[in-house]
Amino acid sequence: MKKWKWSNLYLIFVFILLYVPIFYLVGYSFSAGDSMSNFHGFTWQHYLDLFADTRMIQIVVDTLLLALLSSLIATIVGTMGALAIHRTSRPVIKNTVLSMNNILMVSPDVIIGASFLIFFTALKVPLGFLSVLLSHIAFSIPIVVLMVLPKLKEMRQSMLDAARDLGSTTTQVLTHIIMPFITPGILSGFFMAFTYSLDDFAVTFFVTGNGFQTLAVEIYARARQGISLEINALSGVMFIFALLLVIGYYFIQQGAQTRKAKHKGGETL
Amino acid sequence: MSNNTIIELKHVNKTYGDTVVLKDVNIEIERGKFYTLLGPSGSGKTTILRAINGFLDVTSGDVLFEGKRVNDIPANERRVNTVFQDYALFPHMNVFENVAYGLRIQKLPKAEIKTRVKDALHMVRLDDLADREISELSGGQQQRIAIARAIVLEPSVLLLDEPLSALDAKLRKDMQYELRELQQRLGITFLFVTHDQEEALALSDEIFVMNDGEVQQSGTPVDIYDEPINHFVADFIGESNIVSGYMIEDYLVEFNGKQFECADAGMRPHEQVEVVLRPEDLDLTAVDKGKVTVTVDTQLFRGDYYEIVAYDGAQNEWLVHSTNPAKDGETVGLTFDPEDIHVMRLNESEEDFDARLESYEGE
Amino acid sequence: MKKSTTNAAFYVPYGLWLALFVVAPVLLIIYQSFFDISGHFTLSNYATYFQSGTYILMTINSVVYAFIITAVTLLISYPTAYLLHYAKHKQLWLLLIILPTWINLLLKAYAFIGIFSQDGGVNGFLAMFGIAPKQFLFTDFSFILVASYIEIPFMILPIFNGIEELDQGYVNASRDLGAKGWQTFTRVILPLTMSGVKAGVQAVFIPSLSLFMLTRLIGGNRVITLGTAIEEHFLVTMNWGMGSTIGVVLIIAMFLIMFLTGERKRKGGRA
Repeated sequence: MKKWKWSNLYLIFVFILLYVPIFYLVGYSFSAGDSMSNFHGFTWQHYLDLFADTRMIQIVVDTLLLALLSSLIATIVGTMGALAIHRTSRPVIKNTVLSMNNILMVSPDVIIGASFLIFFTALKVPLGFLSVLLSHIAFSIPIVVLMVLPKLKEMRQSMLDAARDLGSTTTQVLTHIIMPFITPGILSGFFMAFTYSLDDFAVTFFVTGNGFQTLAVEIYARARQGISLEINALSGVMFIFALLLVIGYYFIQQGAQTRKAKHKGGETL
Repeated sequence: MSNNTIIELKHVNKTYGDTVVLKDVNIEIERGKFYTLLGPSGSGKTTILRAINGFLDVTSGDVLFEGKRVNDIPANERRVNTVFQDYALFPHMNVFENVAYGLRIQKLPKAEIKTRVKDALHMVRLDDLADREISELSGGQQQRIAIARAIVLEPSVLLLDEPLSALDAKLRKDMQYELRELQQRLGITFLFVTHDQEEALALSDEIFVMNDGEVQQSGTPVDIYDEPINHFVADFIGESNIVSGYMIEDYLVEFNGKQFECADAGMRPHEQVEVVLRPEDLDLTAVDKGKVTVTVDTQLFRGDYYEIVAYDGAQNEWLVHSTNPAKDGETVGLTFDPEDIHVMRLNESEEDFDARLESYEGE
Repeated sequence: MKKSTTNAAFYVPYGLWLALFVVAPVLLIIYQSFFDISGHFTLSNYATYFQSGTYILMTINSVVYAFIITAVTLLISYPTAYLLHYAKHKQLWLLLIILPTWINLLLKAYAFIGIFSQDGGVNGFLAMFGIAPKQFLFTDFSFILVASYIEIPFMILPIFNGIEELDQGYVNASRDLGAKGWQTFTRVILPLTMSGVKAGVQAVFIPSLSLFMLTRLIGGNRVITLGTAIEEHFLVTMNWGMGSTIGVVLIIAMFLIMFLTGERKRKGGRA
């Protein structure tokens, strides 16, 4: 019992550490002053400023659209890739493709950004929305593959054989059996791709031109100029948004887990 | 408690919220014998094991080791070792290191560790496998390494949690012989958990039959087989025909509308009882010579006998093991001796049961 | 027959991606590293890198920073992940660990600008004990602290997964064989969760080499890492050749880390 208390104390300490900066940030978004020191009394002013800032609103909308579009395309390509890898029977090819898949997962952002910049310049792709979109699709694909593959591995060959034995064509097996089975993996992949896109700064910073900004790039530019409590207000909004996203993700996961638990329960009983 | 008692559980209860897992369990385990906890899954046998090796806090009651209460002594300080159901061999160590693990923990000199590991591996007949990785072993080999890892520490009691359940039928049989032999060679107490009644009967000096968190009956395999205390034990151990009846007087029981001589006594007159007849004690005979008349329904050839399912006039099912085949649909008589009849009282406690048996068997 | 054709169809978009966005960029960055600022083929970028002490020193610096950041996060994260595994409501705790990773990194960095500023939170806190304001922003210390702060969740998650995968049976077996808590930890739990630790180290060390935005915002150009240098060459001085050369060095460093922390398959493999 004693041990329990001490361990919780450490956990609480770590959580305070993790959340202090965030609450500090959000807290000052309500301060009437104009710097992150000495709370000057409560105000909604910075939120009003934020919602009146059409440039900022435009950037937020652009960022969300970019995230949605890139994660959607990445999910389609990534799922196809996972299916292809799963069906590849020669281990040499399979492992090679998997290692190549992981290159972008482990590459530092600056490398991805710099090499994509060279790539787009070489192909004369104009830097702007298109180059950013292509980059986001590109670095989101491997995570989709990694989310979908385990689901495919979980799928038993006998189930597919059974479907075929009952008269399904290859296409029918894919649409009736495989797709429903791997849907949780596809959803997780989409979700991860979406957050990767929202979270990215470095790659976008390299491959965007003057015409197109994402939120992260805008925050960087503003933060370099100094403190503006409008950014704090933005943090407040984003914190709520992140909270909603995390809760959404939690429910997707919980759903998958209870389904799994049911399977397990069925086996032991 | 005799001097030989090494482990004793006294009025042990375990509950999780409203779920009762162990109900007033009393067990006494003596030095040097082979004990088995036998019961269906969920009957609480593994829970008892975990109360003994220290991975479970009991809700109430005492766990005694050599007469001392050990409830609060952590698992690593208890002088029992366990062979786990899935063996739990450390995958990052080879065979030698797995077996040496407990000795290294005790910081014994290297030379001693080496000889003792060698001896332990010899004991389980795997002398040549010391350098193998765990993943390179077969299921049976892993099982023996798990035993070696436990016995190398020379525990006074070895706990085995369904160690044979993962093996195939043939290997299982072989390992049964080896386990029994190993126990006799080492001379230490084995407490073995299984749900396989044949295994329990074959291996044990003494069996505790568990159901619903309670010890239903304890005794030698022969006692338990021949004189099961209640419906559950009779049904779970071996195969049996159980019919309800009345005790007319001592040594006379009525079932199927007839009175039969029997070998049981000590009940109240006209007490409602259950009667057990083992299928191998029933013989087929002509209808007029039979004590019960049945019609053969189906029969299966089992190699050394025919398993015959038949029904009497009241549609009770009768299972018969016969060396001679019967004909489907044929009406035959069944015959048996008075001592083949075993009469069970309803809800008799083990204490009363033992006392009653003593009272008339002593005559 | 049919299987292979559909399979090929699946491979088309994915293969295209592999070729265009994985293989081509890596080859291009290597190719680019052999050109000088005016577009002539040259080996001088590599010569500059290895001969001028600045680049070597910067690389060493960068690795040292990344090493410290990784060590600090590991030290904080392992116990957290371990305690998390045994905590009640661990799914909820885990959710709380993940949440900060969904707040944009730039915003977190921005928060520290406020916290570390001359009249910010930390100095305000110190003032309560009568300690005079200190310079926190634009120091090595603040860079390491903020980078560690940002990377902690990425270290906790893989370690937590590793501990979750660990079969409690091994821990029980170890205790059954007489090992105390600490002995069980060092001999069984730690070795068997090493893959999680390695994954965490990978997830933290490599990005730490390239956190140029943090060096700019928090390190105040005092801290120059490989990432900062690449950004500088690509986006400020426009010397792509030199930037690519440093990029190639970073790629090599990355493969080195992957090799060092990679699962070395045992002879028999694992069941």
